[in-house]
Amino acid sequence: MGLLARSASFVRYAVEGDLPENFWEFAAERIAAHSFRDIDETYDERSVGWVSVASMFDAEFSRAPYAVGDHLVMSMRIDERKVAAGILRKFCLKEEERLKTARQVPKLSRAQKGEIKENMQLMLLKKSLPAPAVYDLCWNLADNTILFFSGNQKAQESFEELFRQTFEVGVMLQVPYLVAEHLLPAEQRQALAEVEPAVFV
Amino acid sequence: MDLVDLIEEKSFLGQDFLTWLWFKSEERGGAVLVPAIGQDIQVFFEKHMLLEYGAGEARENLVCRGLLTELKEARAGLALGKKPEQARLRLQRDEQEWSLTLKARLFELQSVRPPKTESGAEADADDPLAAEGLLLDQIGLYETAVRTIDQLFRMFLEIRCSTAWPGVGQNPGLGPQTVAGPGRYAEW
Repeated sequence: MGLLARSASFVRYAVEGDLPENFWEFAAERIAAHSFRDIDETYDERSVGWVSVASMFDAEFSRAPYAVGDHLVMSMRIDERKVAAGILRKFCLKEEERLKTARQVPKLSRAQKGEIKENMQLMLLKKSLPAPAVYDLCWNLADNTILFFSGNQKAQESFEELFRQTFEVGVMLQVPYLVAEHLLPAEQRQALAEVEPAVFV
Repeated sequence: MDLVDLIEEKSFLGQDFLTWLWFKSEERGGAVLVPAIGQDIQVFFEKHMLLEYGAGEARENLVCRGLLTELKEARAGLALGKKPEQARLRLQRDEQEWSLTLKARLFELQSVRPPKTESGAEADADDPLAAEGLLLDQIGLYETAVRTIDQLFRMFLEIRCSTAWPGVGQNPGLGPQTVAGPGRYAEW
């Protein structure tokens, strides 16, 4: 349910910090440095980076530029290898049984079990394929606000981190109180700070 | 105050806004005069509402759902002190219509369906100019939805941060149990 879908879900962010005057040059360099890198042919567990909003395979922005009028529009792609807990448990137990038989011991130590778990996790991760997820964003440069097209908290945290690494400025989720601070004139902000929950019964 | 505390301690602001907006939408059959644009827009609550009561482990939820519902259970819930945490809204302005679910705690907009545009129907995916035009149209429609919510929120805040806001025990006039008519809340 991204920007180009028939319907979409999003949260709002405000960008906090100053951007360089030659913003588009800066953005071109930083986006290229943090564009998505494929991990299909590697054993990396996770990869996060920017791609074009038109295609998750377009990390060069050849199919759709990120500059759209006074907006910066692109997508964050996350590829991640995961191992299901049940599968990991099965392979750990299997390996524990094999070792107990091979060494002719009734049980293994906690440290040995930990080592087995680590090895099995690594072995299974290498065998698993990275699952992709794509989240669109639309940055209005005139008022320095962002629509981020996901309500998923983990995706929002990844976005906040990638955005900070890319543009060297922070973003703040615009919850009602922060939106209120932006909307109200300075003289009413004290009254806002003192507002208590209404009781209607 | 950091963001987590702000969300926890000030989440009532979004819920109070939804309560106020519900009242405003029923006051004049959906028409709400927005001073920032100098005209009426239409706001309808429909299909779905989630109300909350309490906090933490003691939090109770009430979900009301139905195609042509009058949200009677939600009104009863309001009378018991529950507050709307999310609601499905239909907004109409300038002969265009948006449907969206507003979640009060984070001001998250879910399942936003913007109005259909002519360019959207005719855009050629291989034409970069047409694709950019379509994208700009889509952005404009989402930003209009956000701006409209902000204009309504600003109206609410001006009353909420003033002495015109009803005090403890004054029901906003939404349920069958209401003893006073909307006139009592004329300032809203």
